[in-house]
Amino acid sequence: MDEKLKALENQRAKVLAGGGQKRIAAQHEKGKKTARERIESLLDPGTFIELDAFVEHRCTDLGMAGVEAPGEGVVIGYGNVNGRLVYVFAQDFTVIGGSLGEMHAAKICKAMDMAMKVGCPCIGINDSGGARIQEGVDALSGYGNIFYRNTLASGVVPQISVIMGPCAGGAVYSPALTDFVFMTKGSSNMFITGPQVIKAVTGEDVSAEELGGASVHAEISGVAHFKYDDEDSTIQGIRRLLSFLPQNNIEDPPIVDAGDDPARTDPGLAAIMPEASNKPYDVRSVISRVVDAGDFLEVQPDYARNMVIGFARLVGRTVGVIANQPAVMAGVLDINASDKASRFIRFCDAFNIPLVTFTDTAGYLPGVEQEHGGVIRHGAKLLYAYSEATVPKMTVILRKAYGGAYIAMCSKHLGADQVFAWPSAEIAVMGPEGAANIIFKKEIEKAEDPAAMRSQKIEEYKDNFANPYKAAIRGYVDDVIDPALTRGRLCSALFMLLGKRQTRPARKHGNFPV
Amino acid sequence: MKRYKITVNGQTYDVTVEEIAGTGPLARTVAPAAQEAKAAPAVVPAPAAVAAATNLPVSLSVKSPMPGVVMSFKVAAGQDVKKGDVLLILEAMKMENEIVAPQAGKILSLRVPAGASVNTGDSLVDLG
Repeated sequence: MDEKLKALENQRAKVLAGGGQKRIAAQHEKGKKTARERIESLLDPGTFIELDAFVEHRCTDLGMAGVEAPGEGVVIGYGNVNGRLVYVFAQDFTVIGGSLGEMHAAKICKAMDMAMKVGCPCIGINDSGGARIQEGVDALSGYGNIFYRNTLASGVVPQISVIMGPCAGGAVYSPALTDFVFMTKGSSNMFITGPQVIKAVTGEDVSAEELGGASVHAEISGVAHFKYDDEDSTIQGIRRLLSFLPQNNIEDPPIVDAGDDPARTDPGLAAIMPEASNKPYDVRSVISRVVDAGDFLEVQPDYARNMVIGFARLVGRTVGVIANQPAVMAGVLDINASDKASRFIRFCDAFNIPLVTFTDTAGYLPGVEQEHGGVIRHGAKLLYAYSEATVPKMTVILRKAYGGAYIAMCSKHLGADQVFAWPSAEIAVMGPEGAANIIFKKEIEKAEDPAAMRSQKIEEYKDNFANPYKAAIRGYVDDVIDPALTRGRLCSALFMLLGKRQTRPARKHGNFPV
Repeated sequence: MKRYKITVNGQTYDVTVEEIAGTGPLARTVAPAAQEAKAAPAVVPAPAAVAAATNLPVSLSVKSPMPGVVMSFKVAAGQDVKKGDVLLILEAMKMENEIVAPQAGKILSLRVPAGASVNTGDSLVDLG
């Protein structure tokens, strides 16, 4: 037995050594950790249990016979984050460049299958040169198997992708299918076709960082949800996100008591709203003053900044916050903002996270670019996502809520369970200027001083219609509240709605406008 | 040296092109020079102008995020700004929108006068 134990020790030591000291040193030189170091820093100390350490490839083509790939270039297993179970896989760049072959993919699939079976989040750390070309169609099969499982797991367990190295070609689609993508600045990039292919085909000169670095995906493409300066802060970000999420679609998110009084009033909230209704303010200052202890984890903070989304808690319970941002592009609804918000709403609905919406938008962004870009079908996503959601839905109309944008931002008509309006709310079919021009067209034309008549009519319309009371008269707004009471009313509404049960007609699935 | 005959909007120009050794950064500096040529077609960029352009700090054009009217500038050319400083107020969607500096730098030029109507993507301020 002693000999056999010794043999086991040797075998394991070989796997633990990964691609060897030289390659590990090269990895460290790039400011990158090894797959194992990443897993160790992500999980609670001492909780990681590795699986499939002894898996080997069985490729003999193109010189692969006899090529050793300790661990098959990917480390998988389970462990705890903040005391809660997660499954994890991390590609090992030191072993044949973390390239993905048949058995490498099989290990990843096992981690995903197990996560689904036991109902816990699955976190994938990507650092791979791409498909292991020698394995041919078996490598392709591997990618396909992963995509298939990503799709089956969607809405069942939270899936998080972490990009800490190259992630190119087909490999990008697994992260794209997951719920959240984390990227580390400087060391990670994602693209379908790399700089060399682009140079050859279109002649464009672009670096990997300019093409698909963390900043590009966090600010321009919207592919990344979180971007951090280094690996340690990226890991901390993942742990923080997980603290807001449930283990699976049947459980509720954990309750975290921050000791913040649910009935806390905040007389300072009203002062955030500018006197003039055409002046901007940062809606995040409203959010952070309302939620527990000001703790707000903004998702995609640098993408489509006219829409703010993120996680916070009310009375210790996770809520998903969606808010127009008047400080950026007048908080307009456009293609990207609709996309960003609707995907977030669907995540929250899938994982029993109630929605809190703050409305203050100048409306849909006009422009040829938007119309030709398909703002009709992209904007429809927002309507669909809100209507489809059966979690508790609470809306606070802070200021502008006109026309279609009023409907889209989780109005009563899309199934909001509670709608509150601040006294500053302007809820009407359209803005005073436009409405006055149409309704009082004749009066304005006939007047001796059309300009004066026009501004008089605008004022009239403002006084009579641009307020929360026309909507409250119909019950479209449940209550008009003093801003100071916003937190108390939301907390109360959340508790009132905890027993909410709503079913939809039986169907295979709806046809979400994508 | 190579000579080309180039026609822009019906006007023909004789252009002389000289190849300079070292290709890396050069490829990047040619693009803005070509744009200048488009704005003022009568002036064909001399090699000296191209060289001057390479000495300028990397500049970034702050563009209009939506159609609107520039109400007022809060900065002047030559001024240093921090990331997040308000550069100008753009009236759009019946709101007075603050357009802020995306990064720290020096204001190289204001590209439009106050009161100008601008469209999405129009350059407003050049930052160096």
